[in-house]
Amino acid sequence: MQLSDWELVQKCQKGDVGAFQELVARHYSKVFMVVLGILNQREDALEIAQEAFFRAFRKINGFRGGAAFYTWIYRIAVNLSIDFQRRQKRNPTEFRETVDDVAENQTESESDPYRDLQRSELGKQILAAIDDLTPDHKAVIVLRAVEGLSYREISRILGCSEGTVMSRLHYARKKLQEKLTPFLS
Amino acid sequence: MMKCEAVRDNLGAWLDGEVGHPEADQIRGHLEGCPACLAEKKRLDQLQSSLQEVLRLEAATVPFELFWSGVERRIAEKLPWRLQLLDWLRPVFYPGRLAWAIPVVIVSILGLLSLDQILPEWPWVNKNNRTAVESIDAFGFNVAIFREYDTKTTVIWLFENQDDEEQSSAEPIQDDNPTF
Repeated sequence: MQLSDWELVQKCQKGDVGAFQELVARHYSKVFMVVLGILNQREDALEIAQEAFFRAFRKINGFRGGAAFYTWIYRIAVNLSIDFQRRQKRNPTEFRETVDDVAENQTESESDPYRDLQRSELGKQILAAIDDLTPDHKAVIVLRAVEGLSYREISRILGCSEGTVMSRLHYARKKLQEKLTPFLS
Repeated sequence: MMKCEAVRDNLGAWLDGEVGHPEADQIRGHLEGCPACLAEKKRLDQLQSSLQEVLRLEAATVPFELFWSGVERRIAEKLPWRLQLLDWLRPVFYPGRLAWAIPVVIVSILGLLSLDQILPEWPWVNKNNRTAVESIDAFGFNVAIFREYDTKTTVIWLFENQDDEEQSSAEPIQDDNPTF
């Protein structure tokens, strides 16, 4: 029988690293998606997502099950991503490989669904348009897209009101639509 | 009948299932008869699904072994002593556990300042009484009145209990009802 997240957390709190590995296996993909959506830089996203799980591991003894594990780890990951991006804005000299660069550097012989989608104008344009949003707006639109979280859950992750989530989502979608109108059917 | 502008303002929230029943029905009804708003809805749908797909396919290129190796390396690395100390102390400083400490510290300080009133016979208590705490109350708020006699200055201090749990970054949300 598969253990729940909370049962795995309790095992982690007793020092079981294997239980934490199971938690990572369950959630790493979506956490990575969220971070990537905010940063649009693959290598940075990988680092930040791994750092988020490491921080969760360090603080696991303080997790008392008040919220689902995934909302907690999203919260850590989003905060780290936003902090990272703000730091990067202040020090923009460091070169990083964006998702678009990765796609363009692929050889023509390689073919897989992701690369095909990346090459499509819409995929590229969506990522570029999101990149122009503020970190707070990126966070709401990505959390909604990746996990389909309710406004209440997003508000708890971001530490703001549901009304703020709604208005940020509305603004972000409006901005994206303005930029993507030629690419949306 | 809702106007197009009102419908479009709420279309995103409606697609997210965050609009209440009467309004949601009005939007649904409007979409059935308005091709322009229906096209807008389709664009929003497309936007959402395309974003999800781009990110999903990108995440699929990161194997678990690669991801876990990065996490495991961090776990295996020895933390600096400051962080180790912080981790060790962290449970003590959870806001919920810290709530009692703030009033105790305040009362202790006020008590020290009022020693000459509480223990007037003690020889080492300053007899030149210059300051005094007049009262401490706790009807919803804690109230401290601090009076300095020489300059006839009175400070009235209202402060709330620190029961609310501060939710700083990277901290768990502490609710009463576990949702697992």
